[in-house]
Amino acid sequence: MPEILAASGLVVELGRRRGWPRAATRVRAVDGVDLALAAGETLAVVGESGCGKTTLARALLGLQRETAGRILLDGRDVCGLDPRAARTARAAIQYVHQDPGAALDPWWRVGATLAEGLALHGVRDGAEQASRIAGTLAAVGLDPALAGRYPHELSGGQQRRIGLARILLLRPRIVILDEPTAGLDLSVQAAVLRLLRDLRARFELTYLFISHDLSVVRRVSDRVAVMYLGRIVEEAPTADLFARPLHPYTRALIAAAPRLEGDAGAPPLAGDPPSLRAVPAGCRFHPRCPSAVAACAATVPALEAAGDGRRVACLRWRDVARDVTMPALPRSTP
Amino acid sequence: MAEPAPPTLEVSGLAVEIATDNGLARILDDVALAVAPGEIAGVVGESGCGKSTLVRAVLGILPRGARVPRGAVLFQGADILGDGAAAARGRIGFIPQDPYLSLNPVFRAGDQILEIMRRHAPGRRADHVRRLVDLLRAVQIPEPEAALARYPHQFSGGQRQRLLIAAALSCDPALVVADEPTTALDVTTQREILALLARLARERGLAMLFVTHDFGVVAGLCDSVTVLYAGRVAEAGPVRAVLDEPRHPYARLLLACHPDRATDLAGIPGTVPPATRQPAGCRFHPRCPIAVADCAAAVPPPVAIGGGRRVACPRHDMALPVAELA
Ligand SMILES: Nc1ncnc2c1ncn2[C@@H]1O[C@H](COP(=O)(O)OP(=O)(O)OP(=O)(O)O)[C@@H](O)[C@H]1O
Ligand SMILES: Nc1ncnc2c1ncn2[C@@H]1O[C@H](COP(=O)(O)OP(=O)(O)OP(=O)(O)O)[C@@H](O)[C@H]1O
Ligand code: SF4
Ligand SMILES: [Mg+2]
Ligand SMILES: [Mg+2]
Repeated sequence: MPEILAASGLVVELGRRRGWPRAATRVRAVDGVDLALAAGETLAVVGESGCGKTTLARALLGLQRETAGRILLDGRDVCGLDPRAARTARAAIQYVHQDPGAALDPWWRVGATLAEGLALHGVRDGAEQASRIAGTLAAVGLDPALAGRYPHELSGGQQRRIGLARILLLRPRIVILDEPTAGLDLSVQAAVLRLLRDLRARFELTYLFISHDLSVVRRVSDRVAVMYLGRIVEEAPTADLFARPLHPYTRALIAAAPRLEGDAGAPPLAGDPPSLRAVPAGCRFHPRCPSAVAACAATVPALEAAGDGRRVACLRWRDVARDVTMPALPRSTP
Repeated sequence: MAEPAPPTLEVSGLAVEIATDNGLARILDDVALAVAPGEIAGVVGESGCGKSTLVRAVLGILPRGARVPRGAVLFQGADILGDGAAAARGRIGFIPQDPYLSLNPVFRAGDQILEIMRRHAPGRRADHVRRLVDLLRAVQIPEPEAALARYPHQFSGGQRQRLLIAAALSCDPALVVADEPTTALDVTTQREILALLARLARERGLAMLFVTHDFGVVAGLCDSVTVLYAGRVAEAGPVRAVLDEPRHPYARLLLACHPDRATDLAGIPGTVPPATRQPAGCRFHPRCPIAVADCAAAVPPPVAIGGGRRVACPRHDMALPVAELA
C-alpha cells in the first residue's frame, strides 16, 4: 500500500517561547517521531496520559507548528508553513476531538454547526449544504431530523456521530480519531466502532486511532505504535504486538490492561509516570524498566527494525523477547 | 464448611426516588446485595443505571429531595438509612472517583486528611499525625513525613488517589465504598491502585463495595458482581460465573459488546430509559430480543439459579439471537 502520510524526525516543543527561565517553560512533547500511514489502514497510537499523542495529532494536522522534522502528505512536503497555510495544505487530514461536545457550539443547532463547517470549506449553496448534511447524517446512522437539535439534547453516542459527520462532510482521506470511545458505555462503544469500520470502507479512509484502551485497539487497528514520553518505543502489526511485545514498556502496558479473562497477576510497573520536565537520560523508560542494565541509563536506544515489519527502541529487546516470564496474555479472539 | 461470616453490608429491597420537573424519577428499585468481611463486591452497569445513587444511599448522602420508599441498608447489622444513623456510618470509608477534583488545591494534603480524622475522632494532633504516617506508608506514599507538608498538585494522579485511599482508611473502616476510583487514571497506575486495594481488603479484612463501568476491572479485582440495569439488579453472582456465562439477556448482550469478546455486535438496540420513564414489567423488555408479552406485564424478581447466582429474568435459559443482532 502506498504511504499517504509520513513524518520523520518530528519534534514539537510546547510552552512559552520567551520568558525566564526559558528552559523551564518549554517542553518537548514530541521528540523525534518517525511514523508512516499506509492508505486504507488503521494505525493506533497508544500510550499513557501526557505521552504526546494529542500533540502528535495536532502537529500532523498543522494546528501545532513542528519545531523540527518533516511531514509528507502524498509524498509532498507540507512543513514549515504558517498555521493557516498548513491547514489548507493538509485539508485531507481531519480530526475528531477527544471531547465530542467541545467541537459543537452549545448555542447552535447541530445543523447550523455542520453547515458552517461546509461554508468554511467553500460550500455556500444552501440546498447543497442541506443535502450533503442529510446524506452524511444518514451515513453515520442518525435521523437527519437531528440537525434541528441542540448539542445538549443529544446522547454521548449521538454526539460522537455528529462529530464524525462534521468531518466526513469535508471529505477527508485521513481521519485522526482522538480517543473516539472514551467515556462511552460498552453498548454505545460497540456501535461507534462498527460505524468507524463501515465508514472506513465506504469512504476509503485511513485512520490514525489514538486510544489508551488496549482492548479496543486490539480489535480495530492494523498496526500499533506505542508512545512513551514523546517518543515511539515500539511499532508492530497489531496481532504481533499483543502476541509478542518486544519493548518492556509495551509488555507492562499490556500486562496492566484490565481484561475480561481476569488478571494475569503480573507485578505492577514500579515508579510514577515520568514528567517531560525531567526526561531521564539514556532510555527514557529505564528508571521504571524491569529489564534495565547500566547501559540503558547511558545510551539512547534508536528505533530499529526488528523483523516482520516491526520496530523497537530498546537496547535489550532481543533478550526481552526471549524472556518467557511474560504473563499469559488473554486468549486471542480475532 | 465454616459458617459464613455475617455480611458487613446488607442492602435489601432498596428503592430510591426523586421528584423532578419531568415527573418521579425511579432511580433504584428492589436492589439487594451483601458484602462479607474481606470480600470485594463489584457493582457494574452503564451510565445512569444508578451506581452512584446506590453509593450515596449507603453513605447517607442522597441528593436533596430523594426518598427511600422501601428497603433497608444494614451496616454490621444496624440500619443506617435514617437521619439518626450518622454515627453508625462512622466506620465506612469512601474513595471518590476523581483524585484531581477531590482535594482542595490551596491546603496541604496532610492537613486535609488530618481534618477528616479529627472530625471522626477528636484527639491529639500528634497521635493523628502518627497514625496518618502509618497509613501513608501502607498506601506506599514515599517519604510519608515529608509528604504531609506537600500540596495536592505536588503529587501525581496515582499518588493523589493513594492519599484519598489513606483518607478513607483513616476512620478504621470495616467497609470501604469506592465509586469508579480508577477511572481517571492511566492503566499502569490503575493497576497499582487495584493491587493496593486488593491487598488492603485482604490484610485488613475490609468489605469493599466497588462501583465501576469496566468489566475488565471487575474481572481483575472483585469476588462477586452485581449487574444493574435501569436501577434494578439484572444479574448477580460470583465474578467468573457471571462474566463467563452471563444469563440475563442484558448481561449477555452487554458482555458480548466487550471488545475482548469475539462477537461482532453493533451495540444493543434502543437506549437506556430515563429514570422518569421506566418501562413497566421488566425494565429491559423494550430492548430485549427474547421478550414476550409477560415481560411487559410483571416485574421479574431476581431468582436464585444455584451457585450463588441470581437472575431477574424468567427466560434466562433461552438462546439469544446474537448472530441476527450483529
Ligand atoms: N501548552 C503547553 N505548554 C507546555 N506543556 C504542554 C502544553 N500542552 C501540553 N503540554 C504537555 O505536553 C505533554 C503532551 O500532552 P498531550 O496532550 O499531547 O498528551 P496526550 O498523550 O494526548 O495525553 P492524554 O492521554 O491525557 O490526552 C503533556 O505532558 C502536557 O502536559
Ligand atoms: N438529583 C437527581 N435528580 C434527578 N435525577 C437524578 C438525580 N441524580 C441522579 N439522577 C438520575 O438517576 C439515574 C442514576 O444516576 P446515577 O448517577 O446513580 O447513575 P450512575 O450509574 O452512577 O451513572 P454514571 O456511570 O454515569 O456515573 C440517572 O438517570 C440520573 O439522571
Ligand atoms: S424478563 Fe423478558 S424482557 Fe426482561 S430480560 Fe428477560 S426475557 Fe428480556
Ligand atoms: Mg490527548
Ligand atoms: Mg456514577
